[in-house]
Amino acid sequence: MKPPPPKFKRFSCLSLLTSWDYRQTMDSYDVPESTPSASSRPEDYFVGATPLQKRLESIRKQTSFIPTPPRRKVPQCSQLQEDVDPQKVAFLLHKQWTLYSLTPLYKFSYSNLKEYSRLLNAFIVAEKQKGLAVEVGEDFNIKVIFSTLLGMKGTQRDPEAFLVQIQSKSQLPSENREGKVLWTGWFCCIFGDSLLETVSEDFTCLPLFLANGAESNTAIIGTWFQKTFDCYFSPLTINAFNLSWMAAMWTACKVDHYVATTEFLWSVPCSPQSLDISYAIHPEDAKALWDSIHKTPGEVTQEEVDLFMDCLYSHFHRHFKIHLSATRLVRVSTSVASAHTDGKIKILCHKYLIGVLAYLTELAVFQIE
Amino acid sequence: MDETVAEFIKRTILKIPLNELTTILKAWDFLSENQLQTVNFRQRKESVVQHLIHLCEEKRASLNDAALLDIICEDVDLFDMKQFKNSFKKILQRALKNVTVSFRETEENAVWIRIAWGTQYTKPNQYKPTYVVYYSQTPYAFKSSSTLRRNTPLLGQALTVASKHHQIVKMDLRSRYLDSLKAIVFKQYNQTFETHNSATPLQERSLGLDINMDSRIIHENIVEKERVQRITQETFGDYPQPQLEFAQYKLETKFKSDLNGSILAEREEPLRCLIKFSSPHLLEALKSLAPAGIADAPLSPLLTCIPNKRKNYFKIRDK
Repeated sequence: MKPPPPKFKRFSCLSLLTSWDYRQTMDSYDVPESTPSASSRPEDYFVGATPLQKRLESIRKQTSFIPTPPRRKVPQCSQLQEDVDPQKVAFLLHKQWTLYSLTPLYKFSYSNLKEYSRLLNAFIVAEKQKGLAVEVGEDFNIKVIFSTLLGMKGTQRDPEAFLVQIQSKSQLPSENREGKVLWTGWFCCIFGDSLLETVSEDFTCLPLFLANGAESNTAIIGTWFQKTFDCYFSPLTINAFNLSWMAAMWTACKVDHYVATTEFLWSVPCSPQSLDISYAIHPEDAKALWDSIHKTPGEVTQEEVDLFMDCLYSHFHRHFKIHLSATRLVRVSTSVASAHTDGKIKILCHKYLIGVLAYLTELAVFQIE
Repeated sequence: MDETVAEFIKRTILKIPLNELTTILKAWDFLSENQLQTVNFRQRKESVVQHLIHLCEEKRASLNDAALLDIICEDVDLFDMKQFKNSFKKILQRALKNVTVSFRETEENAVWIRIAWGTQYTKPNQYKPTYVVYYSQTPYAFKSSSTLRRNTPLLGQALTVASKHHQIVKMDLRSRYLDSLKAIVFKQYNQTFETHNSATPLQERSLGLDINMDSRIIHENIVEKERVQRITQETFGDYPQPQLEFAQYKLETKFKSDLNGSILAEREEPLRCLIKFSSPHLLEALKSLAPAGIADAPLSPLLTCIPNKRKNYFKIRDK
């Protein structure tokens, strides 16, 4: 369909009434009970669904090939370790990060961070001079900073997380040396035991990489890391199965006050027109639904996740007669965090930062293996 | 003049509001300009009416003339474009000193109005105007969404008074496509442009069915497919759907599930949900859902009622 001409804004309709018109402004709609199956046929092999519907049902119930555990611990409100810089943690929240999985870094050393800053800086400048598209600013006045992110780990065995930033150098020779941050990327490993066990001493395992900023910068920095440490980045996508787990787990988390509504976004595979369905539910109601389903204290099981999603599907089907299970879950959003299937994440709650990262580390590790 | 005719004319004129009287008398075209000029319309209505009856007697009004006056009075949609424009402009200018109002008449008795808004102290902003399209032969107008909230009541008042209505109500129907809004509001969308015969019989394509499968199953599937197609066609019709991009449902309904009776069984409060459907062409997308197996046929009336109810924003509660 061609897009509407730019000058056409959205129009709303106004109805002009004479004195004898009266309108009710609220619909009270009689939502029908779920209708029984359309057919009650004598033949016992036909159960009132087309083969396509039956196939879609079976896809829905199919468990993913990922050998994920059928139960996970509910993310606890983790006390971050004392040496954590609260300012740095606050900096990580409320930003959209693009996710990548990263194979272990060969001969990476935490004592060489200054050296790495210098080398990467020179590399970026060189790339820019080659004429490649680099969005580090019109001038070359950028500064690359490597720093460690203390406390971003699950166990003591996890390697220390570190942060890379590109800042624009301030033009003014004023006391304000902090330029504008143009790009941020950080590397971490939360509860990465399964991976740590498999690699030798020369390797540093930080399987989860998160980037915020221009795509072109991410590409250049990725290239440098790949050259320098013989590692490999791979975009981390999150499939519908994991998105539903995230939705259930984050709904299970206790939050002091809700900062966002609980929302799901589905993309419907109909042609030729695309259709998106957004389903937002009041976070208190989502929590009530979850509490009614949740039986095992401290743990989330596969059955509970499935039942949670099925309840949402069934409530939707009751009103609209549409099978959401036959569509593609694309995004989930709660007060704890929001995640998009394209591998984008935004963390809103510092209490559960480690919990969210732990899940993502697990996904990253799986992708590497 | 006959007694009954005089009485009839008197009662007819009494029903006309004073502010419309001159317009209607001019449209009637029975009393001459000179005669009308002798009437003092500022008197009490009874005196005005008496004077007019006297003039009618002078001219010997017949029953036919009286009947004609009656017809003109019944035609309440005596729309005077000039008067509408003047009235509309005056109302806005009296409230806000700084406002630019322009008109353009188009076919179908539509008038496009452009309003650039200022305040008592600032000049009108020409870069953020509001557009209104008023169809003078209908009680409907369409307003672009680019209006500051504080100006909306004034705009509504101007439209209502200038068009001689009593109240204006915002409908729950919004879209970028003005033609589609018109089609829905004026119920013009169900005109078939092409003549179709009834659905061509579906050809059975291979669904990966086992060849040994009972032929009765294949037959049942065709029957089901045809049923879905038939119901979809009955619901949506054969014609192209009006183009909308959104439908929004605010639901406050209790959770009732056949999956597991105990879930939320004790909870009295409804689930508060907000559902938004978006698509470049929503109605066509909804139409394709049942045939694709993603939705049941018939589709929910909450979706299929959109053109009929002329709404795409809904609030739904349990009855």
